[in-house]
Amino acid sequence: MFEVRFHGRGGQGAVMAAQTLAEAAVIEGYHAHAFPFFGAERRGAPVMAFARIDDKKISIKSQVYEPDLLIVLDESLLDIEPVARGMKKDGKAVINTRKLPMELDLGIEVDCATVNATSIALEFLKAPIVNTAILGAVAKATGIVSMDSMNKAIRNRFGEKFGEAAANANIGAAAAAYEQTVIGRCKGKRPLKAKREWLPDWDQLPMGTALSEGSIDAVMVGPGGARQNLTGTWRVQTPRYDKEKCVRCLRCWFSCPEGCIKRDEDDHVHWDLNYCKGCGICAQVCPVKAIDMIKGGQK
Amino acid sequence: MNEEMSTIKDMPTNDMFTSGHGACAGCGMAIAVKNIMRILGENTTVYVPASCLIVISAMYPTSNFRTPYLYTAFENTGAVISGMKAAQRRRGISSTVVGLAGDGGTFDIGLQALSGAAERNEDVLYVCLDNEGYMNTGIQRSGATPFGAWTTTSPVGKVVAGKREFKKDLMAIVAAHDPVYAASLSIAHFNDFVKKVEKAKNKKGFRFLHVMTPCVPGWRSDTSMTVEISRLAVETGMWTLYELEDGEARTTYRPRTMLPVTDYLKLQGRFRHMGNDDIAKLQEWLCRKWYLHYGSEVEQPVCAVFEKPRPMRQSEEDHLHFV
Repeated sequence: MFEVRFHGRGGQGAVMAAQTLAEAAVIEGYHAHAFPFFGAERRGAPVMAFARIDDKKISIKSQVYEPDLLIVLDESLLDIEPVARGMKKDGKAVINTRKLPMELDLGIEVDCATVNATSIALEFLKAPIVNTAILGAVAKATGIVSMDSMNKAIRNRFGEKFGEAAANANIGAAAAAYEQTVIGRCKGKRPLKAKREWLPDWDQLPMGTALSEGSIDAVMVGPGGARQNLTGTWRVQTPRYDKEKCVRCLRCWFSCPEGCIKRDEDDHVHWDLNYCKGCGICAQVCPVKAIDMIKGGQK
Repeated sequence: MNEEMSTIKDMPTNDMFTSGHGACAGCGMAIAVKNIMRILGENTTVYVPASCLIVISAMYPTSNFRTPYLYTAFENTGAVISGMKAAQRRRGISSTVVGLAGDGGTFDIGLQALSGAAERNEDVLYVCLDNEGYMNTGIQRSGATPFGAWTTTSPVGKVVAGKREFKKDLMAIVAAHDPVYAASLSIAHFNDFVKKVEKAKNKKGFRFLHVMTPCVPGWRSDTSMTVEISRLAVETGMWTLYELEDGEARTTYRPRTMLPVTDYLKLQGRFRHMGNDDIAKLQEWLCRKWYLHYGSEVEQPVCAVFEKPRPMRQSEEDHLHFV
């Protein structure tokens, strides 16, 4: 059995990519299935999708914990999640990045293919939806499905949903990615630590499951506990504040969905970038253009 | 704070709805909830039915509300907040009980519980966060979805393009219950927002707030345009700002001129397919709504579609009296 795990961000098309890969495998004559991680995923949040390919009927229905193939649709995920956790030693990884394979540190030394799928997607689809470009790289890196079957699967999936022109654009993106993919070996220095979670058994649950503010095993629980989720990792653009220009109208403070804009004593503001998702509303509502958005999720 | 809040500057700085929630970047609902919670303050008890808000802010064992928080099923916001208030009364606790429901949980599924609570004049605050669809479950049409909008259950095909029905006038239904206070809010009219929430907080009896909360993935809009879309909704007449106090309606903001509805539509992908006929139909509906709300105070003509002011029907005049 060949198991695949996709890591992406909500809106990049990880689920569609998993389904398309499975369909391509079926066209090749294999058995396959694909499904997303079912959680409260919103646009921009880290998401997962899974696929399995086998030459006999697949009876296992669980998530993929030990992938043969790891596909990462957004390079920034490497820094915030142990994406390579559980990967097989002879596994392969396909990463969307500008870097070469040997410059990457996955936390496990495996064969690795890299492709700048974002720029390909922007060129062919005019949107940073990288799923089809990454599939072209998958075809080259693994050879488990041929490029012909992949094209057929893309045409089936995307043509039906978005029309002929969209299908052709996506096939173009996959073909370009197939050409541009670089294959090598990545480094394995990064520690792969799982996030701590509080998962109680039924007899450890408090009465009525009501929780008061506090922490259990150093994990915050109860009212206000969700502030341990540092949503700043979702950011792809960062606000820059020009204090000289600011007229202290506080519109940005009111309009920030995250509440990450903090109000100072004198009504100037500052940002808690641990939470900023980079939506750009503050820059848009500012009447004197004291805020601009600069590319990148830097601090 | 003893003095009544009336502008942004009067708002307290401590957040009762903390950062770290899982809403999409640019979520209009998060803006509304964060500011409502700032104004209501510490002494508040929150109820949320099934909606985006519960998913983004209260995944067990944590929550983003630093206040007591409860949730049960989708359809019973009105009933549950009534019960919470009754329990607090019995135990001698005095706090603002607020139900933060979505438009599906208010317009469609929760309507009977809302009506019941309003009719009994329960001492609760009901907030409808209106993102014009069932966005949490993947963008399905609701009674609040406007005419022409694409959703997964009002798809765009060769014959029918988008939703064929107009938005339900929920405020008129609430107004028919003669509540102590009801108001429509926009996240782009900051001081108006603060004043209305403050007013609702200080009154006793059934209070209703209706907030328009743009939804980035559901409306197919840019993350940075959330507040701008809310502002344009008011300027084009898609949203009207008024309050209803002890049976009397008062417009709190009237745009100087009515902008064409296309200014509002073009920022949102859910309207991209709309043809001229549909836009004209929507504009005509808007003009009628505009006269209904601003009729008595407006210099004619306001609407590009009507060359001369249309005489209002008797039933509309009756309606005007109330809303």
